[in-house]
Amino acid sequence: MTAPPTAAALRPLARWLNLLRHFVVRDIQQRYLGSLWGGLWALLQPLLLFGIYAVVFVQILKVRLPATAGGDFVPFLVASLWPWTAFAEALNRSSNAIPEHASLLAKVAMPRAVLVVAPVTASFALHGIGFAAVIAAAALLGREWHLAGIPAAVALFVLLYGFALGLSCALAALQVFVRDLQHVLAQVITLWFFLTPVFFTREMVPPALGRVLDLNPVTVYIEGIRGALVMGQQPGIATFGIALATTALAALVGAFVFRRLSRHFEDFL
Amino acid sequence: MSDVLVRLEHVSKSFPRVARRRDRMRALWRLLAGRVPADPAVVLDDISLEVRRGESLGIIGENGAGKSTLLKVLTGVLAPTSGVVRVAGTTAALLELGAGFHPEFTGRENVQMAGTLMGFTPAQLREKLDDILAFADIGRYVDEPVKHYSSGMVVRLGFALVAARRPDLLITDEVLAVGDEAFQRKCVRWIEDYLGGGGTLMLVSHSMYHVQKLCRRAAWVHQGRLRALGAADEVTQAYLAHQEARVAADGQAAQNARAGTEFQVRSLALAGLADRIPAVIESGDTLAIAAEVRSRDGREPVLAVGLARADGSALHGVTSQMDGARGRAAGDGNYAFRFEYPALPLQPGSYLVRVHAMDPEGLRLFDTMECPFTVRGTTREWGALKLGHRWPDGGDA
Repeated sequence: MTAPPTAAALRPLARWLNLLRHFVVRDIQQRYLGSLWGGLWALLQPLLLFGIYAVVFVQILKVRLPATAGGDFVPFLVASLWPWTAFAEALNRSSNAIPEHASLLAKVAMPRAVLVVAPVTASFALHGIGFAAVIAAAALLGREWHLAGIPAAVALFVLLYGFALGLSCALAALQVFVRDLQHVLAQVITLWFFLTPVFFTREMVPPALGRVLDLNPVTVYIEGIRGALVMGQQPGIATFGIALATTALAALVGAFVFRRLSRHFEDFL
Repeated sequence: MSDVLVRLEHVSKSFPRVARRRDRMRALWRLLAGRVPADPAVVLDDISLEVRRGESLGIIGENGAGKSTLLKVLTGVLAPTSGVVRVAGTTAALLELGAGFHPEFTGRENVQMAGTLMGFTPAQLREKLDDILAFADIGRYVDEPVKHYSSGMVVRLGFALVAARRPDLLITDEVLAVGDEAFQRKCVRWIEDYLGGGGTLMLVSHSMYHVQKLCRRAAWVHQGRLRALGAADEVTQAYLAHQEARVAADGQAAQNARAGTEFQVRSLALAGLADRIPAVIESGDTLAIAAEVRSRDGREPVLAVGLARADGSALHGVTSQMDGARGRAAGDGNYAFRFEYPALPLQPGSYLVRVHAMDPEGLRLFDTMECPFTVRGTTREWGALKLGHRWPDGGDA
């Protein structure tokens, strides 16, 4: 009662963060519940995927990278595959978060956004750690990264997280009303993967596809992170400006849609 | 302290009708545009009420009247379509104990999760965890996944959490069937202690007896509207009168349908108790019954009288013919019977008086009428019957 007003104002935020922490931990626990190797899968899964791509592109297709991209395919793929995996998984796991927790929402009053923010945060936390581990392991094996690019790469990774948050909030809210979204999302994400320069560069594709890459909001984050870590290109003002604007726009749209719809989730679940 | 704990101002809640696919899309567009869905089904309509700290409010009403929706709006699970809900404190409901539990996680993990949902800070939770687990008393099961729990254990854990929370407002219904009898006593003790300590209770109940006993005020919700709000006695009586009128209307229709039978029970009354429904009698008092049977062809009927438990299982039965008793001719083929159970040997509880109209030979049964009544009293014995008993080697019985 006599707590200073700032403390009273902080209490809902503290409760929100406390809840988020719990749901993130639970989300991670739930993924690996009953699996023998537990959290190790967070690292192994993208590593396996990475191995497949490396074999397909380097051994079978014999993809040659332009010299501007560093020439070596392995670090090139590492720097883009982990951020993409975090992003794609965040979208996949959060889009159905509200119907998944329908029974909880029907009985317990809680801030609903936590349910969406938690799986996105868990995906970026797990794959962020995996990303750092893979880069560190490669460095130990003698691979030279551009260490000066790390702050910029981290900043862009965080901005990508913000973009995923905004997009997920909008998708998760719409999903409550139009369940069809869930069925097409996996295909859309696969298509999105091929339209994002994860395993190729702009120079390797026809110019028509280049324009698609410009329209693809994820391109700027992936290219920026890879450029900073692999090619030693510090992302310029333009890159950060576009990334920041994209994240802000997604966050605004996500917040608007979620706010408008979340009051009525219960009526449609 | 008499500050207002709960305030509802003109609260309405309506659900959109979304049976058809097209409706979902239309509702989505309207919501995104910031408007309310078209053509809603109104569940709560303009409800305003206040509950002060330390006060108990009973909520009564028929099934489907909107009581559950009112509670959901109150706890914040549902957002009202219009109006303002203010709750100045913490609430906890004893309605769906263990609702937020995840079956794959252990009891301990679920307590931490549910506790966080209830608003415990991590420090508070650490401090209370041992108390909660001790109260629930489920032994080694705390570290087993909840999917291996019996429903009783889930409820115990849920109640222990609520008890540790000590909410400003406690919402519950009459059925506190929590675990075994020892745990039920623990819960009842806790609730008494909570109320004694100035706690605020909201009781949703179909038992007028409980509402009158536990609540000072009552709210009657009827078809989504607040039909009455005031002193518990007045509101419950108004509600009962309404129910009785409805039952009487149904009964009249049934009676008309039976009018053609040869022997018809015209009326049944528990003498001297007619002013209350259900009738209440003290254990050990005399139960006086008056019934009237109409005989179509004027032959003198036989009356069968019996007692049954509220579930319909018979306790006793006798006919006027067995005892050589007769009804008093009241003209127009009507026969009035009076019957008494002196020193009614029933334990407190709910019972039925049942009478049947039979032919003069006492063989064929033509018509039946029932009247519920409640036996009041204090006893520590159980069962339906109050039987004389003694312990030959000493004892007070």
